[in-house]
Amino acid sequence: MEFGWTAEEEAHRANVRDVLDRMLPADWESISVHGPGSDEQTAFSRVFCPALADEGLLIPHWPKEFGGEDLPVWRQFILAEEVWAVGEPRGPQYMNVNWIGPVLMRFGTQVQLDKYLPPIKAGQAIWCQGFSEPSAGSDLAALRTSAVPTKGGYRVTGSKIWTSYAGQAGTCFLLARVPPSGGGPEGKAGIVILLTDMTSPGIQVKQIPALIGEGDIHEVFFDDVFVPAEERLGAEGQAWEIINFALQHERVGIPRYEFSRRILDRAVAKLKAAGKWADPIVQDRAGRALMLCEAARMLVYRVVDSKARDLPPDAFGSLARWAVVSADNGVNDFLTEFLPDGLLGEDPLQQAHHQRAIAAGVASGAAEIQLNLAARRWLELPGEARR
Amino acid sequence: MNFGLTEDQSGILAGLEQLLASKAPAAPTEPVFAAYAADLDKAIAAAGFLDIAREEGFGPLEAALIVERITRLPCSIEAAASALVAPALPIPQGTRPIALVSGDGSKAARFLPMAELLVVDRGDDALLIRVDPDNVAPVETLFAYPYGRLKSLENLEQTVVSDVAGLRRRWRIAIAAEAAGCMASALALVIDHVKTRQAFGRPLGAFQAIQHRLAMASETAESAKWLALRAAWSDTDADAAIAAGFAQSRIAQITYDLHQFSGAMGLTLEFPLHLWTYRLRALAGELGGSGAQSRTAAAAAWPDVA
Repeated sequence: MEFGWTAEEEAHRANVRDVLDRMLPADWESISVHGPGSDEQTAFSRVFCPALADEGLLIPHWPKEFGGEDLPVWRQFILAEEVWAVGEPRGPQYMNVNWIGPVLMRFGTQVQLDKYLPPIKAGQAIWCQGFSEPSAGSDLAALRTSAVPTKGGYRVTGSKIWTSYAGQAGTCFLLARVPPSGGGPEGKAGIVILLTDMTSPGIQVKQIPALIGEGDIHEVFFDDVFVPAEERLGAEGQAWEIINFALQHERVGIPRYEFSRRILDRAVAKLKAAGKWADPIVQDRAGRALMLCEAARMLVYRVVDSKARDLPPDAFGSLARWAVVSADNGVNDFLTEFLPDGLLGEDPLQQAHHQRAIAAGVASGAAEIQLNLAARRWLELPGEARR
Repeated sequence: MNFGLTEDQSGILAGLEQLLASKAPAAPTEPVFAAYAADLDKAIAAAGFLDIAREEGFGPLEAALIVERITRLPCSIEAAASALVAPALPIPQGTRPIALVSGDGSKAARFLPMAELLVVDRGDDALLIRVDPDNVAPVETLFAYPYGRLKSLENLEQTVVSDVAGLRRRWRIAIAAEAAGCMASALALVIDHVKTRQAFGRPLGAFQAIQHRLAMASETAESAKWLALRAAWSDTDADAAIAAGFAQSRIAQITYDLHQFSGAMGLTLEFPLHLWTYRLRALAGELGGSGAQSRTAAAAAWPDVA
């Protein structure tokens, strides 16, 4: 048992920090405040990601056969901590390298790999995930958008909501249902994944103004949109397996506690400079926020450790996600109470953290779903249906 | 970073399991507030488990692993002070059981009725007081540890120790490791209970309201454990205060929930839940409680730059 870093890991972290120091412009904070989905940050990502690729830091965790370096799991995670902590300069492209690429490698056809991997590796691709619908959020299996089989492909009709990055995306990782009239089975088995060109006729994107930042959530309407059959990922009936694989990569992919920890460090420095640190209540509350960040870090590390040691997957990630949400909120609550001026125009980065923290328990599925999963799969409690 | 046990650590814990399997008493059959297992305490000490941190190649991490495991038993053993605190102070190997207290020597302390040594954190320094059993009055309490207090502070055989920081650092790691063990066992007991106890035609554990709080309790127990082990590994003031403070800050919620889901049964001495939850509630206020730990963690994490 060992809770420190190897010399190689330390050197890797130092290198990532050095690269970020060199590559982030002086006005990076003002770019990053709008959130990863904003026009500014998306445009910046198209410059930043190719430069990151030149440094060997865009896809080093991918397998060598796909252009990566088979970077060990921990070093991959150190990279994730460092880029998230500075406000995610990869913008929406973090999603590509974290899970879209790996999912394609696992389930894609050669034609799909040849088409989609090069732009991801070049740092130019923007994807969105067409998962949630007006009546299917965390309950993904309830989705209704239909994909009616037709000659050479599918005709897609329906709508998606809360879709991040849709305004900028070239391709949508779209979930739709083959209706019973089209031969689709009921439930999860009827879902297909269609890699959908966002410039296809019949797609309309509408941004939804929100508390959480610009470009983060949209409605996407599909009106009889044709998607060629060769754009289906995996077989019909295989979508649920692919989605689970994708979600596993996605959920532990973002070390949110690291951004929270650094914002907290920064807040304490500001409170000290303002002469407010001597108050024991301020110290107590800061210490409690710190504890939440470190608890989240340890539980996430426990998940990463399992992956690094190639242990069989378990449901611990659900506990870790709850801890991460608690840490984001704990730090945000502290800042909102003791540094309210930060949300009154004085500190754009604090506002950016606030906007991410309030979405932490909702983004990528309600955190309460993780409690359900932890109860059933980690604690092995009986299902609700057993009456 | 590696959350797995080394071969040596696995071997040590396997040895401890073996000893516990042969010597651990059954859960008490008579209703008791505190179940101190004197014979097992002696056997664990005699086998050397509590001296592990003094051995070449081992340290507080191995001691914390042992303490966490021992604390999961439904009886109390004086392990944490002997295994974690004593090796950091000028306390000879074998001098135990050890009681710890803050303030002055007149305060009630855990394990004092059987202790050989009382360590008193007086703020600026600490006292190591050799305990005369005739000078100890037992204290009746709901807390599931044997408590006692010194009858007289006159004519004590005592030495002064200046390393209060070292004492508190290890004491915090001890609190965290003990809390983690108690949380794990208390949670396991209640999970078994809600899987079998039926209400409204289904097991209690099938109700989402209960599932969510137990999942949160599990997040608390796991966080407490990993923070404790990290603190034992790094042996730093910041990690120790974070680990103890986190555990203490969650004790109120987890003990409330676990009793709540046990219903009236959880209020009886017949149901062993209190043997862990009332150790947790005792730990909640040690060393000033979560607020003191929180401020210590803050001071250590963000030291003032001169």
